[in-house]
Amino acid sequence: MTDTAAVGGRQRVTRSRRSAAWGALVGVVVVAILFSLPYLVYANVTGVLVNLFILVSLATMWNLLAGYAGLISVGQQAYIGVGAYAVFVLAGDGISPFLAIPLAALISALVGLPASFLLLRLRREYFAIATWVVAEAFQLVVVRSNSLGAGAGAPLPGMVGLDPALRQAFTYWAALAVAVAALLGTYLLLRSRLGLDLTAVRDNEVGARSVGVRVVRAKRIVYLVAAAGAGAAGAVLVISQLFVQPTAVFTVQWSAYMIFVALIGGLGSIEGPIVGTVIFFLLQQTLADRGAWYLIVLGAVAVLMAMWVPRGLWGLISDRFGIRLFPVGYWLHGMNPPATGPGPKTESPQA
Amino acid sequence: MSSGPLLELASVTKRFGSIVVADSLSLILRGGDAVGIVGPNGAGKTSLFALISGDLSPNSGEVRFEGRPVTRLDPAARCRLGIARTYQVPRSFEHMTVFENVLVAAHRGAGLRGGEATDLAASVLEETHLHEEANWPASRLSLLQRKRLELARALGTGPRLLLLDEVAAGLTEPEVAGLVQVVEGIRARGIGVIWVEHVVRALVGLVDRLICLAGGRFIGDGEPLAVLATPAVKEVFLGTSYGEGNSS
Repeated sequence: MTDTAAVGGRQRVTRSRRSAAWGALVGVVVVAILFSLPYLVYANVTGVLVNLFILVSLATMWNLLAGYAGLISVGQQAYIGVGAYAVFVLAGDGISPFLAIPLAALISALVGLPASFLLLRLRREYFAIATWVVAEAFQLVVVRSNSLGAGAGAPLPGMVGLDPALRQAFTYWAALAVAVAALLGTYLLLRSRLGLDLTAVRDNEVGARSVGVRVVRAKRIVYLVAAAGAGAAGAVLVISQLFVQPTAVFTVQWSAYMIFVALIGGLGSIEGPIVGTVIFFLLQQTLADRGAWYLIVLGAVAVLMAMWVPRGLWGLISDRFGIRLFPVGYWLHGMNPPATGPGPKTESPQA
Repeated sequence: MSSGPLLELASVTKRFGSIVVADSLSLILRGGDAVGIVGPNGAGKTSLFALISGDLSPNSGEVRFEGRPVTRLDPAARCRLGIARTYQVPRSFEHMTVFENVLVAAHRGAGLRGGEATDLAASVLEETHLHEEANWPASRLSLLQRKRLELARALGTGPRLLLLDEVAAGLTEPEVAGLVQVVEGIRARGIGVIWVEHVVRALVGLVDRLICLAGGRFIGDGEPLAVLATPAVKEVFLGTSYGEGNSS
């Protein structure tokens, strides 16, 4: 990807105001450390991180849908389920569950294609409700299928004979790979021309259409990418649990988690879902043995954040310090920075 | 470019229930023409624009652009062919920078990528006097700057026909004069312009053809001052202003 371009022989366009090289360096170091963790810590730690990576992947995809394409879905669990059952079926055919993860993502996107023709005709709340209906429909199909274990579920084949320590390490690496792929994929997508289209569609759909953006096509691509991402996360989920059950994968609770994480972390930024997931896990770890208080605190945090910090924690951080780990915007050099306020691309109160 | 017409409307009719906003309108426009459209409120000016840009599709009749029927194409497709419009109420992408606002247009409307797209966006910003604000979020712009951004974005699509919907509304006289100057530059580049405006004075200096619309019909079409002097046009304008005067 070319980062700079001469403009009229005088101006220069880059993808962020300052160099983003250190951001990339931080990313590589963090991933390298996370990669080596199975050699350094006990399996219970990596076990928690597997769930964290699953949620980061899911929230990243939900953020792509809602924060960039303006598609509020409460039915992404449909593809968690499709991904989970895809791994189950493929493993039954003798394919290693780990190798089945990318296939599960692909199958989820394929299943999402006909659904997208139905759903993208709808707007806002109608879209949201319909996504949930699709998820419920998928669950009903699974419950009625004896070969898929029906309502009771079934153990995941292809995992016996694997040393537990090795299995846990593989599961951890698979979860890490899916999370990194989700983040990197989102980053590359948003940096592309399509990313700019999406932001335009989110900000003003009529305006986007009037400058030539194929609005429905852009939304469909995002919907399918999000389906693939949720499918991959669902695949990792069933591998980590060794058992597939319709009520566990198709529950709307997943959407509640994705929304919570994306909201407290900050919608419309790649970093937000990471921050949100970490907060969510900290809350979960500290409140796990407090019963109902756990849900009460979670709900209170969500309400307070929505009221006082609408752009989420990452929004707060990036406004204050002007940090952007994943620069996706454009910066025209030789021009004035904004006259007032901290930096470019901050929302003004009247917006 | 071929000598054929740039834009052609053939008996275009649009009804909303019993209300006819476009009553069998026919119109031929050649490349480089600058046409002004005036008319009282509710005359169907914005509907006429929407029919050309694709925001509305007609009940009957055909719209042709450069000889090609575009009646069934959506606004995005018409834009990619070369029809660009501005909106009366600016539809900026608030959370994107001014530069990015125009860059989307250069990518999709003009079909450019990489350096070609950024070149076009930068030069359009200069033309519309927005280059100083290139890196500002659009949410920080004033009304005048937003109107300029509408214009810049439309130009960023590389249009051959530009539809301006009340770009001068709400601006002060010197601001209007500055805008007229920009539009003159656009016209000089050979881009066809159709300009709907309440501020008739802004139009008369610039356009070489004025169309008066009332009740979904053309009631005057020709040299601006001559059109304004015809009895039918006078009656519509004076009639409305008398009516307004009496009721207030």
